[in-house]
Amino acid sequence: MKVAVIGYAVSNLEWDAEKTREETVFEVAKSALENAGVSREDVGTVISASTDFLDGRTISNCMLIGGGGAYLKDESKAEEDGMYAALYAAQRLMAGVHDIALAVSHTHSWIFNPHQVSQYMLEPWFDRQNDLINGITLAALQARMYMEKHGVDELDLAEVCVKNLRNAAKVPYALRKLHDITVEEILESEMFSDPLTELMIAPPCDGAAAVVLASENVAEEICENPVWIKGIGNSCDNYLRDRDLAKLNSLEIAARKAYRMAGIEEPFREVDVAEITERFAHQELMAYEALSFCREGKGRVLIEEGMTEVYGDMPVNPSGGALAGDPICATGMIRLIEAAKQIRGEAENQVDGCRTALAHAQWGLCAQKNLVFILGDEP
Amino acid sequence: MGVVRYEGLPFVARFRWNTGKIMEKFYGGFAERQILAAKCENCGYTVVPPRVICPKCSSKMNENNLVKLDGRGVVLSYTVVRKKLDGKGGFVTLDKPEVIAAVKLNGADSMIFAKIGDVDVEDIKSGMEVVPVWAEKPEGRLSDLLYFRPG
Amino acid sequence: MRNVAIIGCGQAKHGRRTDVNQAELVAEAVWAAVEDAGIAPEDIEAYAVGNMQGFGGIAQPDLVFADYIGAAGKPMQRVATGGTVGGSVAHLGYYEVASGMYDVVLAVSWEKHSDSAEPGATTGLLHVAYANLSYMMKVGMDMRSFAIMGLAGAAAGISAYQAAFYMARSGCGIEHFDMVAAKARRNAAKNKYAHLKWPNCTADDIAKTEMLIWPMRFGHVCPASDGASCVIYASEEAVKKLGVEKPVAWVKGVAAYADEEADQGEAYQGTAVVDYSDQTGAILSAMKAYERAGIKDPRKEIDVAEIYAPFPHQELMFSERLGFFDDGTAWKAVEEGVTEIDGDFPICPSGGVNATNAIGSSGMQRVVEAALQIMGKAEEHQVPKDVRNAVAHAWGGQVQFNTVMVLGDSPKR
Repeated sequence: MKVAVIGYAVSNLEWDAEKTREETVFEVAKSALENAGVSREDVGTVISASTDFLDGRTISNCMLIGGGGAYLKDESKAEEDGMYAALYAAQRLMAGVHDIALAVSHTHSWIFNPHQVSQYMLEPWFDRQNDLINGITLAALQARMYMEKHGVDELDLAEVCVKNLRNAAKVPYALRKLHDITVEEILESEMFSDPLTELMIAPPCDGAAAVVLASENVAEEICENPVWIKGIGNSCDNYLRDRDLAKLNSLEIAARKAYRMAGIEEPFREVDVAEITERFAHQELMAYEALSFCREGKGRVLIEEGMTEVYGDMPVNPSGGALAGDPICATGMIRLIEAAKQIRGEAENQVDGCRTALAHAQWGLCAQKNLVFILGDEP
Repeated sequence: MGVVRYEGLPFVARFRWNTGKIMEKFYGGFAERQILAAKCENCGYTVVPPRVICPKCSSKMNENNLVKLDGRGVVLSYTVVRKKLDGKGGFVTLDKPEVIAAVKLNGADSMIFAKIGDVDVEDIKSGMEVVPVWAEKPEGRLSDLLYFRPG
Repeated sequence: MRNVAIIGCGQAKHGRRTDVNQAELVAEAVWAAVEDAGIAPEDIEAYAVGNMQGFGGIAQPDLVFADYIGAAGKPMQRVATGGTVGGSVAHLGYYEVASGMYDVVLAVSWEKHSDSAEPGATTGLLHVAYANLSYMMKVGMDMRSFAIMGLAGAAAGISAYQAAFYMARSGCGIEHFDMVAAKARRNAAKNKYAHLKWPNCTADDIAKTEMLIWPMRFGHVCPASDGASCVIYASEEAVKKLGVEKPVAWVKGVAAYADEEADQGEAYQGTAVVDYSDQTGAILSAMKAYERAGIKDPRKEIDVAEIYAPFPHQELMFSERLGFFDDGTAWKAVEEGVTEIDGDFPICPSGGVNATNAIGSSGMQRVVEAALQIMGKAEEHQVPKDVRNAVAHAWGGQVQFNTVMVLGDSPKR
């Protein structure tokens, strides 16, 4: 059974927002419902996304039931990226148990630095004992492995950053908007772990997002421009030590499933725009390949030729992506929302004639798990 | 309207993880300057550190699957770390950059992450062969394996 | 709507499991379930996982041991909702199949409390108590008092308060809590996976234990166990395709309606929940689950219930809110032995959470135990009657979350 996105909202992305999490979540939940033109009474089920470690408190949803619109609703909490909350909400609709769902996600990164949390994602009885290992240094190892395998250099990474940060300059809620940033400035920004400099790392920040989903009949009845979920693909790779870091295998698997479900055979031709979660610049190039926009190892060709610019043949991250602001649990949901905006013609960096959009979320060290949604303008 | 903020914990409450029996054997191996792995009888995948389930085919394994590695390995990738987490949510810039690498040990299929020492940063290359450097008096702990160096 | 069955269950041995690490503990339950279902690892199409990650000290632990449970290359979704997490994972697994996206889904939840370096309370609970209740330090509570309150366990404190409310409105006495706790330990003695076993435990045995926080005695309090529980779901078509011949348990309805937090909100303000034993969420969840399951008279149509009751008053309270006894009469049923294994309405024949509590696992364990009863596989603690329908329940959060699942011996038609 088909499900559509009928409304959404994104908060401003800030560092150290002068707001409680309850206020942040309340604002996006309320805005999303208004955008969808439904009331809280119409909603049957609410799925939130946040994590106990990032929120610095256990049962991270327990004080957000009222603010998140979940009071006396069929409710649950995904403990990973918000796109997984949207997935679970969609599953509840597809099961025929509910008609309208609200999915809300948030992270206030100033509470507990997500890079520090990345260390807690390491296996405690071996990897965690090496205090140099964390999400950034692992991504750096992944970057070098990928770059050396395929002749990609720092310039290619910097060009991804320039594209995304310049795109973000037009996006009102983005954190990093650097409309005249240059490749040199990217390369000369502070080095964390080579080759990754500060501007190549998605900046953790505070933010929230919410989407409203409806099942087919209801969406057609109440929404003027529903955005249809055409395909979904989800996959998780082995833990760090037993996977090939130079390739996003689980993204390839997830994309293949999503394409199959959406009836897409030639992604480069049939997908009009892609919003992907690039927690580190090199991951965007790896994603081009895993999403079959080009062959393995040829990701750099797309960025060098400008093909993934807004005006290019395969626009990627016209919103600026995660490099423009990474509110962790909300980041993937924002990609979903940006893809929906493209279908509706509401995006700031609108791609002409957009009818099929791809949204991607990742979770885990070095993008261990990946989720892909394909959205379209027809059911 | 301002937000009231609380910082830090006025106490320390630590975790001490049970590692399971096969990991205990792995630590015990360190006392002998020995790196142990587990070889799956079903698919041949050799995982290090050893574990009770094969990460590729999910076959069960136990102490009988343990194999001794010669300790030598190859650098698959490396990075020069300039900033380290300070444990409190911030970063501290290292006075002297340190190097960690993804190392594939001879005889094993997994990669492990380890510090690289005794070499100039400019001389480190992927594909470089490395050997482990052990503590003078190994005690059967992870800290017995100090780092890897070219060799 | 798709019919979904539980075709296999597995549990790790619950207790103090210092012999395994967290990954091995979860793997134990997972592979036991796979064997019980009689399927191959390749048959599992997707996973549903969850625990309370702060207790085990690993963030996103399922990513660390994805390849201990055969999930590499497969879809996995994680939920975490507090004490209800086991129930939430069970619901997620059901929805993954019911949505039509997958035909065979493995759902596992777990908790490892013993990975703590602190004696007495677990490290996780201490961090949790501080994180959620730190405002008390700002308004003048001293560290020692705070530690006592935290060590009593946020859950124990809130539950004692709830027990007092329940006693006042129902007219029951502490002796009824003694009876329920004794029944839990007697039943647990018949359950090879349970933690606190006491074969001939009587209410007097419990009554002799020390009073901790009125009305809770030491003998009323659940243990802090390590454990993992797992079920494998299959769609009706998959049950046929896999050639499953032995009895399965059909999921007939699930609901999890969230209430407002009972204690304090985000800004540490009070909430509209005055009587913690009201449990509006439980009443609503039960109502919706029964509606979806086609159950009109739960007292008559449900044959056994696994209620999440780490403290004995909660078994009484929820048995009323879930519609098995009228408000304020559950204690009479206990006096008459109605809720014994061989009684008219057996509750927690497994010994329940009062005898075994690996928090993350407990909600799923209720589903496992309810399914075992339907399938006739509960061995020594199988209830000696026809089990056509069973209910599995969990509560969590600030006594605000409730998950209810109705299972039956035949699919909905």
